[in-house]
Amino acid sequence: MVSRDFTVLVDVSMITCIVQRGKANEVVQAAQNAGAQGATIYYGYGSGVRERLGLLGLAVDVNKEIITTLVADDQVDLIMEQMFCVGELDVPGAGMIYVTKLEKAATYIPEEIVERITAKNS
Amino acid sequence: MSSRTIPFGKFTHELNVHENKYSYNEMVPPIEYAADGSVIPRKPKDLVISRQYVYRLLQPYVSIRFMEQVKAVVPLALYLVLFQILILRQSVVDPWVINAGLFAVIVGLMVFMEGLKVGLMPFGELLGVALPAKAKLQTVVAVVFLLGIGVTFAEPAIGALQTAGSLVEVSRAPYLYALLNDWSGTLVLMVGVGVGLAATLGTVRFIYGWSLKPLIYVSLVPVLLIASYMTVNPELATVLGLAFDCGAVTTGPVTVPLVLSLGIGIAQAGGKGCDSLSGFGIVTLASLFPIIAVMLLTLYVATQTTPEEIIAAAQAASAAQETLSWSQASPGVEIVGGVRAIVPLVAFLLLVMVVLLREKIPNPRNIAFGIFLCVLGMIIFNLGLSYGLSMLGSQSGSLVPAAFTELPQVEDSPLYILAVGLFISFAFAWLLGFGATLAEPALNALGITVQNLTNGSFKKTTLLYAVSFGVGTGIAIGVAKIVFEIPIAYLLVPGYLVAIVLTYFSSEEFVNVAWDSAGVTTGPVTVPLVLAMGLGFGNTLGSVEGFGILSMASIGPIIAVLSTGLYIKWKIARRHAASTELAEQVGGI
Repeated sequence: MVSRDFTVLVDVSMITCIVQRGKANEVVQAAQNAGAQGATIYYGYGSGVRERLGLLGLAVDVNKEIITTLVADDQVDLIMEQMFCVGELDVPGAGMIYVTKLEKAATYIPEEIVERITAKNS
Repeated sequence: MSSRTIPFGKFTHELNVHENKYSYNEMVPPIEYAADGSVIPRKPKDLVISRQYVYRLLQPYVSIRFMEQVKAVVPLALYLVLFQILILRQSVVDPWVINAGLFAVIVGLMVFMEGLKVGLMPFGELLGVALPAKAKLQTVVAVVFLLGIGVTFAEPAIGALQTAGSLVEVSRAPYLYALLNDWSGTLVLMVGVGVGLAATLGTVRFIYGWSLKPLIYVSLVPVLLIASYMTVNPELATVLGLAFDCGAVTTGPVTVPLVLSLGIGIAQAGGKGCDSLSGFGIVTLASLFPIIAVMLLTLYVATQTTPEEIIAAAQAASAAQETLSWSQASPGVEIVGGVRAIVPLVAFLLLVMVVLLREKIPNPRNIAFGIFLCVLGMIIFNLGLSYGLSMLGSQSGSLVPAAFTELPQVEDSPLYILAVGLFISFAFAWLLGFGATLAEPALNALGITVQNLTNGSFKKTTLLYAVSFGVGTGIAIGVAKIVFEIPIAYLLVPGYLVAIVLTYFSSEEFVNVAWDSAGVTTGPVTVPLVLAMGLGFGNTLGSVEGFGILSMASIGPIIAVLSTGLYIKWKIARRHAASTELAEQVGGI
């Protein structure tokens, strides 16, 4: 039987952040500055505060961008704060951010990093 | 000794951030149950937010839209002013009035476009979906026709025509004066009828999938025939420039999206709208039919009055000018104009929605607000048009001839020797057209469509430069027309003939793109500027009329894009030939 190495990451959290359409790149940049490796952006639209603002709701775009990014547990708070501030999520209708604790995740990890961590732990 | 490990991230976070945690459970309102145990649906109250949040909400919303219009207006205005100061060495007269006017144009366009998006576009989209589903084809066609008339009145650039009318000298071009002053309402109506017919034909074309080429040939025949007939009569010939310019004025930011959204909706319901070209063609027809309509109106006016009567009436009117009612004096006329432009269109759309289709109007509060914004924006824009764009345009236009001829109001004129001065004037016009077109956002969108359509062989930038080159050259030729007093027909008839020949050899896609590219270039900023510039230019030089520049700016890009398309086709064909030849040689060995 052929055996394959399969590296699984633990201590990972997922940050999901919903922002106004057009703002995602700025927010992702802030997340990356704070230590996130990358992010996935997709488009969507939603409802909520916008409908309750009356005419002011016209200033809120129905279209949103949804950012998901996987971050290390140690950095999750810092990254979340940065994304919150850059996304200006304290404005009504601007969006929201939440963190989900993940059980495990896997992706491409450069070999030398795996080796370095294995050496340190043993 | 026991040690505890704390992640470093947690440690720094404790130091720097003070998080207040609340339970969401405490924030949500309790669920209420009805007597039978079912949940009573909760209707949240409207939020009232503090002034600070209103500011934070509105500030980015307004600034993005404001900057959009600043980008459209400021470079053009700056170019005119710098040219006037650096090349012509003249200071700008009334700089504060012009500044305030330009500011009004920016604010007015911003408000108007937002109102259009919030108030009118949802109507158009709903109509496009609901109309073909609920009404017979005849009804649909009738609605499209009336809508075409309505949108023409709502087009911001159409106001520029009326403003331009006051610059025409009655004794030199009586029919032109009559059309722009006494008959100006009828003029806009006829242009609207042209647009309405074009929208109708364009929609029918979508449904049956007709080719655009024969339609172009068929509509150009009457255009050229009537134009040739009118050239022969010197009194009628003065109106030709106006007639052809009307075609360019109609295809602006109201007509194109509203008519297109309706047309595409109908085509999709008809089942043949899915091909990539749907949506093209209406703009083309909408810039050809008004030409015919205006020429026919001129012929009609000519049977009703004589030049002598018009001149006499105009002189009587100017004598009685003291007693202007409020609706004819400056802020009044703009307000009346703004209301008259929007309200009929809205009333018509409402009527169709409620009476014909029995549809409910979604979000009536938002739509009402949007319509209010449209009217308000139109009024501010009209004010800016009179005090900003038209003034600046006619000022620059009237000073440019100082480069090559003697003007009483400019010292040391001519500023340059004849050849250099003429060259400077044409270069000025060319750059103005080239720059204004390159900055046009609608053209950028068209460029992307074209690139996708041709699988990348016709690059976006190629189209941008081809169209801008065409417009620049067109405007330069238009200025030359005024300088040398070339009859407009001598330029337009051959121009359109060349375009017909090129059309014949081009593929359907390129024909659609090329003829439509003429329409997207003439936005609400370019049109008044160029019109006023041409009229000021013409008045200074003492030529009969300064119209026609816009029409040259329409035919220019058509020829430029068609030729570029043919060149690319030829290049691809040559590459194919070369590769087959190579294959044959290889096969031969």
